Amino acid sequence: MTPADWRRTFRAPRPADRQAREDVDAEIAFHLDMRTEELIAAGVEPAEARRRAEREFGDVRRARADLVPPARRRERRTRVATALAELWGDIRYAIRGFRADPAFAAVAILTLGLAIGAATTMFSVVNAVLLRPLPVRSPERLAMLWTGAPGVDARGRPDYRTADAWRRRSASFEDMAVLDPVSMTRTGDEGAERIGVARISPDFFPLLGVRPARGRLFTEEEAEARQPVALLGHDVWRDRFGGAEDAIGATIRLDGRASRIIGVLPAEFHIPGLEADVWEPHTLFPDWEATGNEGVWFVIGRLGPGVTVERAEAEMNAIESALDERRPPSERGRRVSVVPLGRYVVGPGSRLALWMLAGAVTCVLLIAAANVVSLSLARGVGRTREFAVRATLGAGRGRIVRQLLAESVTLALLSAVLGSLLALGGIRLTRAFGPADLARLDQASLDPVVLGWTLAVSLITGTLIGLAPAWTTVRRTVRLSGPEGARGSSDGIATRRIRRGVVVAEFALAIVLLACAGLLVRSWLSLARVDPGFATERVLSMNISTTAFPDDDGRVAFYAVMLDRVEALPGVAHAGLIGELLTDADVELGLTVERSDAEAPERVSLRVDEVSDDLFATLGVPLHGGRFFSAEDGPGSPPVAIVNRTLADRLWPGRDPVGSRFKPGPRDAPAPWITVVGVVGDMHRRGLEVEPGPQLFVPLAQQPSGNEKLFVRTSVEDPLELAAAVRAAVRGVDARVPVYFVTTIEAELQSGLAQRRFQTSLLIGFSILAVVVAAIGIYGLVHCSVSARTREFAIRMAVGARSADVFRITMREGLGPSVAGLALGLVGALWAGRAVSGLLFGVTSADPWTFASVSLLLTAVGAAACYVPARRSMAVDPMTTLRHE
Amino acid sequence: MSAESLELVKGTLDVLVLKTLSWGPMHGYGISRWIRRRTGGALEVEDAALYQALHRMEGRGWLESEWGRSENNRRAKFYRLTGRGARQLRERTREVRRYVDALLVVLDARGAEAAP
Repeated sequence: MTPADWRRTFRAPRPADRQAREDVDAEIAFHLDMRTEELIAAGVEPAEARRRAEREFGDVRRARADLVPPARRRERRTRVATALAELWGDIRYAIRGFRADPAFAAVAILTLGLAIGAATTMFSVVNAVLLRPLPVRSPERLAMLWTGAPGVDARGRPDYRTADAWRRRSASFEDMAVLDPVSMTRTGDEGAERIGVARISPDFFPLLGVRPARGRLFTEEEAEARQPVALLGHDVWRDRFGGAEDAIGATIRLDGRASRIIGVLPAEFHIPGLEADVWEPHTLFPDWEATGNEGVWFVIGRLGPGVTVERAEAEMNAIESALDERRPPSERGRRVSVVPLGRYVVGPGSRLALWMLAGAVTCVLLIAAANVVSLSLARGVGRTREFAVRATLGAGRGRIVRQLLAESVTLALLSAVLGSLLALGGIRLTRAFGPADLARLDQASLDPVVLGWTLAVSLITGTLIGLAPAWTTVRRTVRLSGPEGARGSSDGIATRRIRRGVVVAEFALAIVLLACAGLLVRSWLSLARVDPGFATERVLSMNISTTAFPDDDGRVAFYAVMLDRVEALPGVAHAGLIGELLTDADVELGLTVERSDAEAPERVSLRVDEVSDDLFATLGVPLHGGRFFSAEDGPGSPPVAIVNRTLADRLWPGRDPVGSRFKPGPRDAPAPWITVVGVVGDMHRRGLEVEPGPQLFVPLAQQPSGNEKLFVRTSVEDPLELAAAVRAAVRGVDARVPVYFVTTIEAELQSGLAQRRFQTSLLIGFSILAVVVAAIGIYGLVHCSVSARTREFAIRMAVGARSADVFRITMREGLGPSVAGLALGLVGALWAGRAVSGLLFGVTSADPWTFASVSLLLTAVGAAACYVPARRSMAVDPMTTLRHE
Repeated sequence: MSAESLELVKGTLDVLVLKTLSWGPMHGYGISRWIRRRTGGALEVEDAALYQALHRMEGRGWLESEWGRSENNRRAKFYRLTGRGARQLRERTREVRRYVDALLVVLDARGAEAAP
């Protein structure tokens, strides 16, 4: 169709206003003319006749003014009514057509419905995780502030003094607040339990714009006076205090200290990454005054209106440089990074993965839509006569195009209904089996935003689907309403060309999806080969808290007795304690090696954990040199440490560190020298994907802490069988000790892989869907082509072609466009691979092995889809076929 | 227009128009001509009022209109009675008849009957 054709087809109607005015004028003019003529015929002189006609009529101008507005209203109403009636007619006609051709309707609605269902599910996830604003005032202006030596740790936390200086000096930030989440022991009527407590500065909630649902926040004065007051999270208030009004004013015992409850936070207040059960003043930090306000703090700030993150970061770095003047040289040169809260809550990896999945599901939707286009085109060829008849009966082009669009939009809307129902299930599945650490995934739902999106997408899809059939049908109808209208079989060349294009597009999109899925699968396989550096089987894992103990001596004694009791349990081989095993929270330390030339301490971002004697035996960590800790490394003995391979190579390159001494801080610092007694293998503690960093271990007896991880090496297949016995043994030694997060080390490692598993399996699912739909597309194309060319094949065979030749022709017909699409798609796949390279592990984004195997796979699927209809072409019997002609 | 022509009683114009259209579709001018001829010019119908009545009744759904060709092949707007219009005509005719009858009873009354 030329542009002129389009204009004619969709000629813009006259505006209703002008139409109404012109109609009224025409009616009055007609009346006056007629009356004048009548009078002239009766013998009145013409000028007089005109005057008389006008006099009889009355005030023409007023009549016009009176008549036009109602006429305009009528005109508009009529137009809307006509359009609606036509639309309704078209829809009914479309549905009648679907009923008459249920195979077409079922395949089309099923294909599109599946794709829309997948897209809706994915969008509800994207909406919940990325798009829905956090439940605070203007969340886009909130940001986290991190600090760290360049190249060492980008996510370090400053001490309170620094955070306070930032707050006072910054102009970019309206305000800043600090937060320190800790585990504490709450003792109540039911016994002891672990509870998450966040110590916050008094401006924390005002800064977020969150008001308590009940009671009040604590004041600056209360914080300064170190008043033991507490705010309850909504869930704790509901679960532990029965949601009672008199919870306010009641006391809560945290680590043996009684705090007065003064408020309850609203139910909707949840910020993943900043959550706690109880909130108390930051000054309740132990020994607040004595330790010189130490500790490391999360800092959150509210940017001033219009201030960009970059500007704020530049200002903060300038402030940090100025603060350096007051610091010892070893502490200088830290950088500050400002990270928008949204990017802290959902990190860049998760974001990339979600956008990748959204892109993938869009590809699936496009492929499904392409298939429906192809199906509609095939159906259109069969309906040639129907449209020729309609055109002959006076249906204009616009009318036929409108009807076809109404058909495809109706189809898309029916698919949207099916898709939404599927999405209900899909969302439920995603929430149940999706990764638990993907923030706010549990809030994914089919809410009005998502439904509106689905409706919009299906309307757009429906319109796009209708365009190609509309184009070919109108062309054909125009041609067929001519004298040669009766013949229909030579037709469909344009249709076939479009359908070939559709197959090219489908295969191009499919290979992009397959390639990305292949890369993720390869990453998964590489990851499965990573040795975590510790035993993952038959190891029970749980957390215990001794935060309620008044002093370290009690702790040390408790740990020793408890470990003996647990190791004595039947089925237990070893038991060990460590501060934390799987974590990416490092500390930045300056370490001075005793016998070295370096003047300044070496800055290292590392993990420091206290471990019990048997920990390494429990986890099966290999000893590279020296010894493990033993009973001699008690509180009064000289301080000792074990380093991992990476730290050994870092501080003592090319030397054996065993027997060497080092200390934190500069050479002249008052801290005693620490002797390295052993070197152990590296453990993947920040997840399998991250190379192990430097790790330092100290004896539990020399540096005990209140929160420990207890690992129990068992001789049973399922270590959880022993969980109850171990818990009883621990509580048997001291009932004040909460035991929580009971699981296996295997499960802990797996939960770190949950997001990757989610991404990989979803992408595999989408790819399979895409390949199946594309295969259906190519099957349909070849099938139709064989039907349309039966006569041609018969003639070819009659003049000597063998059936194998015909088979070859048909296979080429199908494989040609699929291979073309594949080649085109590979370019896109290379680009897509680079885009998702952040999600890959142990494989390059252009991995030839992956690209070759997915190309082969897709070609094989294409060939298989062509094979069935191509076989049929061989069965053409020239005699029978030609006799029928 | 003769000097003795009568002002139309309010509302009767509608009935006249409906009646005219009960014989078939007609354009505004045709209706005007028909009423004038039929009443011999005894009823004074201002054309402006006639068109207002036509449009009003069209808006109420008593009439529907369509553009067509007049006797001398000019574009003209033809009005046609709808089902609702036909019902209106019957009701209005009955009302007018009752009204006129009642009026005549009073006007024809003898003085004796009026006495107590």
